[in-house]
Amino acid sequence: MTPAPTANRSLLPTYLQVAPLTLVLVFFFAVPVVLVVIVSFLKYQMLVGIVAQFTLKNYADLLFNPTTWTLYLSTIKFTLIVLVITFVLGFWIAYFLVFHVRNLLTAIGLFLLCTIPFWTSNIIRMISWRPVLGREGLINSGLMKAGLIDQPIDWLLFSDFSVVVAYVHLFTLFMIVPIFNSMARIDKSLLEAAVDAGATRWGVVWNVVLPLSKTGIALGTLFVVTLVMGDFFVVTVMSGGLSGSATSGIFNDLQFLNYPRAAANAVILLIIVLLIAAAIFRLVDVRKELVR
Amino acid sequence: MNSIENPGDIRLVNLTKKFGASYAVENINLTIPHGSYCCLLGPSGCGKTTILRMIAGHETPTSGEIHIGGEMMVGKPPVERGTAMMFQSYALFPHLSILDNVAFYLKMRGVGKDERRQKAEEMLRRVQLISLKDRMPAQLSGGQQQRVALARSLITNPKVLLLDEPLSALDEFLRLKMRGELKSLQNELGITFVHVTHTQPEAIALANMVVVMDTGRIDQADTASIIFNRPKTPYVARFMGGQNVLTGTVEGSKAGRIRLKDARGAIFEAAAGDSTPAPGSPMSFAVRRDRIKLRKSGKGKAAANEIAGVVEATEYQGSYVKVTVDLGGGVFVANLPDGDYFADPVDKGDGVIASWNTADVNILTIVDTGAAGDPYVNAGH
Amino acid sequence: MAASQSYGPRPWTFYVLAALFALFVVFLYGPMIAVLVLSFQGPSASLVFPLREPSLLWFDELFNPRRVGDVVGAFNRSLPLAVMVMVLTVLISVTAGFAFRRRFKGSTAIFYMAIASLIVPGLVLSIGTLVTFRYLGLPAAWYSSALGSHLSWALPFGLLIMFAVLGRLDPSYEEAAHDLGATKWQTVKEVVVPIVFPGMIAVALFGFTLSYDEFPRSWLTVGSKNTLPLEIWTMTTNVTSPALYALGTVTTVISFIVIVAALSSIAVIQRKRSGRT
Repeated sequence: MTPAPTANRSLLPTYLQVAPLTLVLVFFFAVPVVLVVIVSFLKYQMLVGIVAQFTLKNYADLLFNPTTWTLYLSTIKFTLIVLVITFVLGFWIAYFLVFHVRNLLTAIGLFLLCTIPFWTSNIIRMISWRPVLGREGLINSGLMKAGLIDQPIDWLLFSDFSVVVAYVHLFTLFMIVPIFNSMARIDKSLLEAAVDAGATRWGVVWNVVLPLSKTGIALGTLFVVTLVMGDFFVVTVMSGGLSGSATSGIFNDLQFLNYPRAAANAVILLIIVLLIAAAIFRLVDVRKELVR
Repeated sequence: MNSIENPGDIRLVNLTKKFGASYAVENINLTIPHGSYCCLLGPSGCGKTTILRMIAGHETPTSGEIHIGGEMMVGKPPVERGTAMMFQSYALFPHLSILDNVAFYLKMRGVGKDERRQKAEEMLRRVQLISLKDRMPAQLSGGQQQRVALARSLITNPKVLLLDEPLSALDEFLRLKMRGELKSLQNELGITFVHVTHTQPEAIALANMVVVMDTGRIDQADTASIIFNRPKTPYVARFMGGQNVLTGTVEGSKAGRIRLKDARGAIFEAAAGDSTPAPGSPMSFAVRRDRIKLRKSGKGKAAANEIAGVVEATEYQGSYVKVTVDLGGGVFVANLPDGDYFADPVDKGDGVIASWNTADVNILTIVDTGAAGDPYVNAGH
Repeated sequence: MAASQSYGPRPWTFYVLAALFALFVVFLYGPMIAVLVLSFQGPSASLVFPLREPSLLWFDELFNPRRVGDVVGAFNRSLPLAVMVMVLTVLISVTAGFAFRRRFKGSTAIFYMAIASLIVPGLVLSIGTLVTFRYLGLPAAWYSSALGSHLSWALPFGLLIMFAVLGRLDPSYEEAAHDLGATKWQTVKEVVVPIVFPGMIAVALFGFTLSYDEFPRSWLTVGSKNTLPLEIWTMTTNVTSPALYALGTVTTVISFIVIVAALSSIAVIQRKRSGRT
């Protein structure tokens, strides 16, 4: 960050300027998280609600229940699949925009074209896959009309496939933006130097572009992982309730007002997410990258 | 010193600036008379820009005083100092038209819209940019932007104009043109100009006071002619004139001449001036490159103020040929007029003897501590 | 033509990647367009193609709460909420962005707290916020707890944008202003804010859209009355008519209006400054 030009001035205005942000974050982020952790250790009594007694029962219930593990594995499965697909798509689209599109304005225009859907409703975008993937949807009708199939394909909608499609549809952008950002900062003359030294086109990508986009890839991974792991509405709607995820377990407990167990589940989820984030932060100096 | 008569008089007293543990500028004492064109000259990191910014008020000294027009200015904001600064990047406000850029100062003082626009137009007329008054800075060329920046500074009626490497961003042709314009502008306005640059020819072309700086200190502050012909230190000699610096041990002085002998037995003679250096003490001196004669070894008799070596390289420069001679423990450069060179050309590998007149020997006040790492040894022109 | 003469012909990889890009755009926009078309479905109430007897019937239904749920009501909560979040995000992120230009104690902690707020799953924060309010004895409502929850998501985005924008701001503009006699406040008002204004529009855009479309962080925090995304969620299970698509079209159109307004004002400002009016 280019620092504000200054003779030496007091820091009071600075503290005042950052106060609103701090207050909002403390009250609507830090405190809620702390309370969730606290509640996870409290007891739940049916028909009574939360009882202020310390207990590890919630965690025990969850960790010894095979369903929990199944759900988490399911979530991790989705996360990995989506991660791979969004990475491949995100990397090559960013690469295309940065290195193949010659006019800067066109590149920005195309980039905006990709980002505009981000600013519309996620739920609507999700639902809009129904008339496309359904048994009577666009794809099936099209394939049947073309005579390629005579029975509609069942697994296009309300299946793992549709869940993955929806995730990719919603979250690829979160890969494109950081990678685009990293790639745009690569000095073009490095690529020319590599070609001069005899690298093939693929060699340039593997040896120059990929390493220098590491930060963007790491950030994109972080976003996609946290979004997929923390999601429950995409997986529920797109699988028709057939697939579960870690969050659907939380969701169920909430329906029954079992806040303590829901909280414990949330804490487990949170720990996993934070561990992944910490691993990524170790690879990339986030502050330097974001604050420039 | 009466501040009304010499409002653009600048005096720096024991000025120091530290950033953390390192000194950007250490114990600077300097007086810049009102109405002079002063160039602060030196390589990057020597502290010249720091001094400029402290005079402007954009940087606070760690210790020391700055007097402008007789008044102590440290602690005062830039606008109250009677100074105006021209930034290296010009810093024209991109969201304002040229006219509004120039009128900015007046707007900050609360001058009404019509009045300030009218005054800004007058200023633009003076720099011949009135036809572009409604354009945006992004639409102007580098030279035009600089004139707008000038107009914007001059409208504040400054007593001192501070210029931070104003010509660095321009191409060669524009640079020379703007150099002339800056000089005539300063003559016309009669105010003090303090101009920071790392380009030596620019400094001696423009300034009647050149301040040569090296890592936070002033090496020499004098007129351009004195700096060029009578540098005081090896650094100034090399950096300014690309002069040759040689060192020897004093053997004795006689009849107004000092006799020196170097490690390999070469004898040098210099005019003594009023100093009588002690025999045995080391002494360095400088000789201009264009005051050297070269002859092939073996010709002519040995004499004082001569040195032998082997030609390392020759470089054609049009009106002169630059001949670099390896002394076997140092390097010596002679700029021979092309006529002289081609009368008896020397080539790489030839043994040569370089000679010069006693009158062209300029004694330095400090002894050269070794040019091995000096990047300015071959700073040629 | 001149460009390709200086660059040379395009390699085969360009065409492959261009095709990939085109497919991706179709992938992104295709479903949305399908929904747009289907929202004009006629009385046959078919949820799939083909379009029979196009009409505005289902748009009309949106105003009928018995058949589709409280769409108008939800909208009347979502829109003001989004506007509030937008305004607050701009005010808070911009001032915080300025604060971060200097080093101060605690800046690292606050920075990481903001990043963490982006990473932590919305559902977790939703639960936590609800519990916080319960603990304080306050009811959850869209204008209090949901507002705060939305801010916990929008503010970090705004902050990151301000970092990028202020990071690129050449400090010599402010020095020049200072040199010409501007006070600190005048410098901010006359020089810094106008220059970074496009960035502030981007922050506003994020603030509005992130709130208007937010689901997980609204989940438990809105109280008894839903915002639009939550209402849509209920409709996905209850409503089996194209009214859902009609709603999708309407809400997307609104988003588009906001997006286009924001992007074109940024474009207009940039053009004005480069002089090509």
